[in-house]
Amino acid sequence: MSRIEFKDVRHAYPPPAGQAPVYALKEISQVWEDGGAYALLGPSGCGKTTLLNIISGLLTPSEGSILFDGRDVTRQPTAARHIAQVFQFPVVYDTMTVFDNLAFPLRNRGMPEARATERVTEIAEMLDLSDRLHQRAAGLTADGKQKISLGRGLVREEVNAILFDEPLTVIDPHLKWQLRSKLKELHQQIGVTMIYVTHDQVEALTFADQVVVMYDGGVVQVGTPVELFNRPKHTFVGYFIGSPGMNVLPCKLENGQPVFANNLLSSGYPADADLSGKLEIGIRPEFVGFGDDGIPVEIQKVEDLGRYQVVTVKHEAEQIKMLVGEDEAIPSESPMIQFDPENLHIYHDDWVVETRNA
Amino acid sequence: MNRKWILPTLYILFLMLPIYGLLSMSFKTTNEILGGFSFFPQQFTLENYTKIFTDPTWYNGYINSLIYVVINTFISVSVALPAAYAFSRYRFLGDKHLFFWLLTNRMAPPAVFALPFFQLYSSIELFDTHIAVALAHCLFNIPLAVWILEGFMSGIPKELDETAYLDGYSFWRFFIRIFIPTIAAGIGVAMFFCFMYSWVELLLAQTLTSVEAKPIAATMTRTASTSGYELGLLAAAGSLTIIPGAFVIYFVRNYIAKGFALGRV
Repeated sequence: MSRIEFKDVRHAYPPPAGQAPVYALKEISQVWEDGGAYALLGPSGCGKTTLLNIISGLLTPSEGSILFDGRDVTRQPTAARHIAQVFQFPVVYDTMTVFDNLAFPLRNRGMPEARATERVTEIAEMLDLSDRLHQRAAGLTADGKQKISLGRGLVREEVNAILFDEPLTVIDPHLKWQLRSKLKELHQQIGVTMIYVTHDQVEALTFADQVVVMYDGGVVQVGTPVELFNRPKHTFVGYFIGSPGMNVLPCKLENGQPVFANNLLSSGYPADADLSGKLEIGIRPEFVGFGDDGIPVEIQKVEDLGRYQVVTVKHEAEQIKMLVGEDEAIPSESPMIQFDPENLHIYHDDWVVETRNA
Repeated sequence: MNRKWILPTLYILFLMLPIYGLLSMSFKTTNEILGGFSFFPQQFTLENYTKIFTDPTWYNGYINSLIYVVINTFISVSVALPAAYAFSRYRFLGDKHLFFWLLTNRMAPPAVFALPFFQLYSSIELFDTHIAVALAHCLFNIPLAVWILEGFMSGIPKELDETAYLDGYSFWRFFIRIFIPTIAAGIGVAMFFCFMYSWVELLLAQTLTSVEAKPIAATMTRTASTSGYELGLLAAAGSLTIIPGAFVIYFVRNYIAKGFALGRV
């Protein structure tokens, strides 16, 4: 167990001959506290897997260093780092039985056979593999194999961290939920650092204490699920987290106050002096409501999702999504909408701007 | 009536006909063969086989062939394993070109290489040795083995390697203890093809040997000796030549199907 620290890590994969390298990871400095449950959230191709592989040592970053408890491990081979990693697709040693597969990492590190057997039995029990322990691993179904992969990650006691790379993709939905709660439970029991990569926000938000949102090779925000929801630091976070995502609308400043489509919005004044460039406001659909006055809109679509309705409205060229309670009436004549000023954020070139009250 | 079996049966009969002819000839005397066509041996004789198994000029041909074929198979597969691993796992400058270039070695007829090889091996005194033929056959067999093994290796996800490192294995321990057993089928197929090509190749084997390492195929090219035509003897030698190939293919028959599925055989 240890605290993992990234110092100015950048990574570029070798480019095709004659081309400039493209950074899969742009400069990242980030601390993973010992015993934390982290989720790495981001769209496909944003560098999540690259980041995991750098932690486990499968990749050596082009620049920067990685510290485990202050010790530089950047050049250490994978085997020396004591990291467990579970991949998206099942990896089993086909030539061994389920038991040998699970015991493999323990035996390699010289754990006494009796203790290893005990550990394996325990983990197999947890993953519902007990009755298949002495079968050949090659004959199992995809989700059975993935459970072995998970088990092999969890069976080790002395690990610095366990990394999960979208581990539940191939698993049945109901089992998925079950395994996720098992992982969470296990995290509370053994308190080892876990980093869980996913592009599914529900998975990320339910698993982690801290969610790290990545976008285009960089970390855009680190925070608790609540922080990410209430105060997205980057328009991408607002858009990516929440269902539907945050409305991002162009705005102008008049006398230091944000103005959207000739409507002065009551919010704080942006604190930054220089705001030349792209200026936008962000408001979550949860904080848009109908009112007697406000911004005149046209209703385009109403989707009933059971407990609430998603209403898509349009003001001039801008589409705005809003969440309306199941019983709430939707005005039919000249509807007006209002934004909750408490939850309105201003973004300058996609990054949130601090505001102060007038 | 179900007559689906007729066509395949005819086809198999057609294929077996020359082999049957060879077998039946090997049990005839040369006089009978020259005398006219008969479907069954009139005077059944084992003399031809007895001659092959007792006359060193004949049975040494088999021993020589087997020796260089085994050496060649061993060299080809052990060189091709790391090479195929590199092609399947790493991207490096010109990897695709190099891979293709390896295959082009198979496109030239062996005759092209016979003369340079003859001169080269004579000058370093390897002429008429088993290792000379084994090395010469590597020219064709290493690219072939790399090609076959690369297909099998690329079918194994890279994550297997990574998991083994995570589980505490070094590269070589992983390669020998986990990776090689995992692609055992591919190794079997590669070995079979190396064996086959080396076993049937005549031109290089004949050019590079004279007495000491003379292969059976070269021995068989002498159709006449001081005692006249020996067609029965030749037929017996030919029949025996089929056996090792048939024996080897029996063991790898299931794997070869897998190789075909990968498009690499």
